[in-house]
Amino acid sequence: MSAMPRVARLPRVTDRFALAGAVLITLIALAAVLAPWLAPHPPGEVDPLNALSPPDGEHWFGTDAAGRDVFSRVLHGGQTSLLIAVAVLAVSATAGVLLGVVAGYAGGWVRDVIMRITDVFLAFPALLLSVALAVVLEPSVTTVIVAIAVTWWPWYARLSAATAASIATRPYVDAARCLGVPAIMIILRHVLPNSLTPVLVQLSLDAGGVILTAAALSYLGLGAQDPTAEWGLMVEQGQTLFTTNWWVVTFPGLAILLTAFAFNVLGEGLRDALDPRRIVK
Amino acid sequence: MSLLRAERVTLGYGRTPVVHDVTLDIVEGGVGLIGESGSGKTTLARAFLGLLTPMSGNIWYGNQNLKKADMRRFRGDVQPVFQAEALDPRMRAGASVAEALPRHARHRVPELLEQVGLDPALADRRPHQLSGGQRQRVVIARALAVNPRLLILDEPTSALDVTVQAKILDLLAGLPAGRLLITHNLAVVGRLCRTSHVLFAGRVVESGPTADLLDRPAHPYTLALRDAVPRLGGEPPAARGRAEARPARTGCPFRLRCPMAVAECESAPALRDLDGRRRVACHRAEEVLREPSGRR
Amino acid sequence: MIEVRDLRVRYGGRVVADVPELDVAPGECVAIVGESGSGKSTTLMALLGLTEGAEVSGRVRVAGVDVLTASPARLRAIRGARVALVMQSPQAALSPTTRLGTLMRRALKLHGVGDAERVMAEAVEAVLLDPAILRRYPHEVSGGQAQRFAIALAIALGAEAILADEPTSALDVTVQAEVVAVLRELCAARGLALLLVSHDLALVSTIAHRVLVMRDGEVVESGPAARVLAEPSHPYTRELLEALP
Repeated sequence: MSAMPRVARLPRVTDRFALAGAVLITLIALAAVLAPWLAPHPPGEVDPLNALSPPDGEHWFGTDAAGRDVFSRVLHGGQTSLLIAVAVLAVSATAGVLLGVVAGYAGGWVRDVIMRITDVFLAFPALLLSVALAVVLEPSVTTVIVAIAVTWWPWYARLSAATAASIATRPYVDAARCLGVPAIMIILRHVLPNSLTPVLVQLSLDAGGVILTAAALSYLGLGAQDPTAEWGLMVEQGQTLFTTNWWVVTFPGLAILLTAFAFNVLGEGLRDALDPRRIVK
Repeated sequence: MSLLRAERVTLGYGRTPVVHDVTLDIVEGGVGLIGESGSGKTTLARAFLGLLTPMSGNIWYGNQNLKKADMRRFRGDVQPVFQAEALDPRMRAGASVAEALPRHARHRVPELLEQVGLDPALADRRPHQLSGGQRQRVVIARALAVNPRLLILDEPTSALDVTVQAKILDLLAGLPAGRLLITHNLAVVGRLCRTSHVLFAGRVVESGPTADLLDRPAHPYTLALRDAVPRLGGEPPAARGRAEARPARTGCPFRLRCPMAVAECESAPALRDLDGRRRVACHRAEEVLREPSGRR
Repeated sequence: MIEVRDLRVRYGGRVVADVPELDVAPGECVAIVGESGSGKSTTLMALLGLTEGAEVSGRVRVAGVDVLTASPARLRAIRGARVALVMQSPQAALSPTTRLGTLMRRALKLHGVGDAERVMAEAVEAVLLDPAILRRYPHEVSGGQAQRFAIALAIALGAEAILADEPTSALDVTVQAEVVAVLRELCAARGLALLLVSHDLALVSTIAHRVLVMRDGEVVESGPAARVLAEPSHPYTRELLEALP
């Protein structure tokens, strides 16, 4: 009943979390985009004489087995890895959320059909399905995107179907129905916007996972191919050298870790920051 | 002819009925639907709004069956006023009201807000930036936007502070539209409705003029409801520990809570005419009427 | 039992409750009445030392303990055992996987109450609950049953004071009447001090001996219930009375 003013001051901490995550991601993205200018060497520049040299003033992160500058390749690799993450999330979230919201709002047989389809996709282990797809298609960055998106969308469909089903029973949705607002408008205007928060949070939590999955596919030789710089591929190429030339695998690995971490922090922060009660006019 | 009428309507979700065989006419002067949680009153309201199709029986909209009625016209005639969460949390108040208006009439938003006693400047606020009373006024403004002939009010004031509640009731009482008021609050019904129906476990157990119902209840449940309403300086009725007994599955649904239950109550009483104005479903209605009358 | 002098609760410099005087004797029921934002719940929380993040000044004695200066351990010892809090929705405070009987047994053990089975049976009977309720889980009982269970728990633990925050506003009227009747009888029969926070003046008038009316953090009127209701001296009390349907 009575107002507890201290509640109003609480969320600042989580805002800082979201902000820190966002800043970190921006920095990583900037580094990737500006790689051609920032990188001291072209990513494909082979220098066999300097192969596997440890980090020094010339090669900050050392060089790999072909003598390529690891620092430059980590910067360039960010382009590929972030592109994969963004593309996969955009495709799977759009498809998943649209299907999920329709299923959740419509209910009945529409919901049953859509949910059974998602169940079929969920029944296969995600990595296995990606691998199978990647084997059928030519190994490439596009293949990685398609393969991961196919296994990723059902989760968004499920999540948004559950949220939408609960939103659909809210009095304000009933009120819109009573005004004769067409179903498609109710979905777009009321159900979709109010179902989005959990999806946005999930997206930022998943971004790290996508990068890791993409890395796993590349690692299995099913994704990006040499000489393309991609973090997962770089880890794969460097793994046998870990005990002798640790830098080849460690720096791209750290890049994956840092990016995944940044997205997770953003996700945790968004979870609280997107609470509709906190949107200030 | 009344605008809306339920005829032997049974309602439910899935296959479980929660409202049984209810016949109810929304007549002039306001109709109250009184019941506690689980009585089926909100389900009945949803059916009257065309949001729920009866499992059996019919809802009549004038002389059309609601299943086949012109829904465009119906939506313009019948509007709800729900209690909580009746406004999209992400929408500004003005946008919520505008949603009810055709594009060319959106300039009427400030006028509608004024009509319900709100400063039009509040149109820019989102629901959480408004007080409970202001939110409820926005909800009413939106319902009025289509000039409805009937408002279906589902507990329109129960979440509000008493002083705010009184003001919202004044506003509702002054509106030109007819009303079906769904509430557990007997005092509110007295102000807004000339006729009332008491719902228990999905069945109408008593109906008649609201004043008669409150002054001389003929059903023990109506009597219990009335006596439970706290009155200034009154005493609470002695506790018997049975207010939450489940409705009986056979016979009179109220008998497990009823202080007057007898063997006869194991057969279900039909809703019968009492004195030409009132209908009641109780074998012992005549005796209930003889209970000390009037308010203590 | 409860003795409050010059209690002032501030959040970030803003005074949200200012109560110059509030006493509740054993067997007495005092009610704080007000609308949302009046500071009535804050006052109640301050009596239990549960106003985190607030600046609290004044003197608050509850069950012989000076709440504002007492150690956290000492406060924990009186909360529950000597002073019970009954909230609007007690179900939310009950662990969903624990049967009510188990819960009560644990509480009795924690506070060193012997002869648990007899004490429990007696407490449950005192609030007119069926003893079978002790075998149920919180989600299996209704709102009024949960509320009466909370009261039974207080009695079993030997509470001398009950602080109740809108204990019936989530309940149906018939159930509300029952819960209020139980509280009223227990107060009289066992000499419990009852501090009731409510927005409902009519409800309060059926049970309280004395009333404090609060608005915007201030006590605008206080006195014997009969006097305050019959001859309100503050315009706001009159407004509240007139608003009663």
